[in-house]
Amino acid sequence: MKLALERVGHAFLGRTVLDDVSLALDAHETVAIVGPSGCGKTTLLAIAAGLFDPLSGRVRRAYARHAAVFQEPRLLPWRTARENIGYGLEVRGVRRRERHAIAGRLAEAVALAPEDLDKFPVELSGGMRQRVAFARALAIDPEVVFFDEPFTALDVGLRRALQDLVIGSARERGYAALFVTHDLLEAVRVAHRVIVMAHRGGRLAGMRAVAEVPGARDERTIWQTAEAWRTGDPLFAHVFDVEGRA
Amino acid sequence: MVRALGRLGRYAWSGWAGLTGLCCLAAAWQAGHEAYGSFILPAPLDTARALAALAASPDFLRTAAETTGRALAGFALAALGGSLIGVLAGYSYAAIRAVKPILTVILGVPPIAWIVLALIWFGSGGGTAIATVLIAALPIAFAGAVEGVATRDRSLEAMARAFGAGPLRRFRSVVLPHLVSHLFPAWTTTLGTAFKVAVMAELLSNAGGIGGALAVARANLDVADAMAWVVLVVGLLLAFEYGVLHPVREELERWRAAGVPWGVKR
Ligand SMILES: Nc1ncnc2c1ncn2[C@@H]1O[C@H](COP(=O)(O)OP(=O)(O)O)[C@@H](O)[C@H]1O
Ligand SMILES: [Mg+2]
Repeated sequence: MKLALERVGHAFLGRTVLDDVSLALDAHETVAIVGPSGCGKTTLLAIAAGLFDPLSGRVRRAYARHAAVFQEPRLLPWRTARENIGYGLEVRGVRRRERHAIAGRLAEAVALAPEDLDKFPVELSGGMRQRVAFARALAIDPEVVFFDEPFTALDVGLRRALQDLVIGSARERGYAALFVTHDLLEAVRVAHRVIVMAHRGGRLAGMRAVAEVPGARDERTIWQTAEAWRTGDPLFAHVFDVEGRA
Repeated sequence: MVRALGRLGRYAWSGWAGLTGLCCLAAAWQAGHEAYGSFILPAPLDTARALAALAASPDFLRTAAETTGRALAGFALAALGGSLIGVLAGYSYAAIRAVKPILTVILGVPPIAWIVLALIWFGSGGGTAIATVLIAALPIAFAGAVEGVATRDRSLEAMARAFGAGPLRRFRSVVLPHLVSHLFPAWTTTLGTAFKVAVMAELLSNAGGIGGALAVARANLDVADAMAWVVLVVGLLLAFEYGVLHPVREELERWRAAGVPWGVKR
């Protein structure tokens, strides 16, 4: 067990956003969290990542390093891609030379061209920026990675490529991941199991395990599973009848 | 290093456009001279000659240095103090609300009133000029710093926090670079105010410097000399603004220029 949320509750300005949420993340496991927008997914992730403390309940962590990839790239605009990738390392006191060496290796891993490393975020495309953000997360060799709808803004082809990158790197590096997404197909593709959040009230509605491990599933199965859940499984019904609000 | 020199070269090259603007101004000045005569408005060339004559006198450097020293001392105190208090206040909405009316009051008092008060407090001397500059210029720097901190990108701060950055590192890596773009315009205004107020304070407090020299020129009804001193003050201001502040800013904000398409680059 890497991370456990125990009966976590949170409210903003008196309005309940999370209520009695418990979940555990095992080593080497990717758990997807799906739910309609505004149901509290980002809040859940922020609490799990320690960005703020929940009003009730507790978070237990059994690891040393975590990293996060957000919906927007959140790169420092005044730093080149190379320096952005090294940000987490810099925080941990790694020397410049080594940071740059690691950034160079990771750029290759996330399919960034070496010449892009010296560019500022304004000079990069949306997909490239998100690759930099992903490389920044991998750079600190995390044991747990938090993803908050990281590929929502990208087109389908790019999204597929980056999902494969997540699946591959999670298997290679062995990190556990909490992957919030709005896209059931994405959840079924990248995760070992999928947790569904309720439409209102900030509770977890239920959980479904996905057959086989991420990366080993073929496209047809993935598509069929997602479609079966979407159309036939009452657990997912509420997630998609408000789809228009995404 | 080579690239830094290249940027410096480009910066110097952009000076031509600025020079063109100044030449237009000189042309308008010449036209004014031709319309109203030497007594009201001496010709630019006559003024230049008067300035050259002044520059040859032994006291010239001391006079110019006196004013420059006071203006820069006041500027440094105002920019540092104002920015520091501004940054601290920027982190707290309560502090911003409490301090804003105080600033409005301070800014609302005309500098001339501060000079009179400073004369009473510090007597006539360099202290009066510096104190007046400080009090007239500090609120400008303060307002810039508050604005900069208050408009920081909180999502970047959350990112930094998620990667384990402490408050000091978050300030240095996330807030400070953003702050720079608010501080520099404020500092530019602060510097201009510093020179103007320093000369005014010197003139009224009889404290020497360029202000003192202007008082003498006025007493002698020497318009060319008066113009020459004015040109000198403006020249000093331009030199510090375009020779120091702007290149530093340019260097710190390279990332901004990177997003500008070719051909629009300054
Ligand atoms: N800082 C905040 N202050 C007040 N309300 C917030 C804040 N952050 C989120 N909320 C509210 O909490 C609810 C859940 O938000 P969020 O966790 O971002 O949802 P999701 O990520 O599932 O779309 C939303 O109704 C949102 O308006
Ligand atoms: Mg969200």
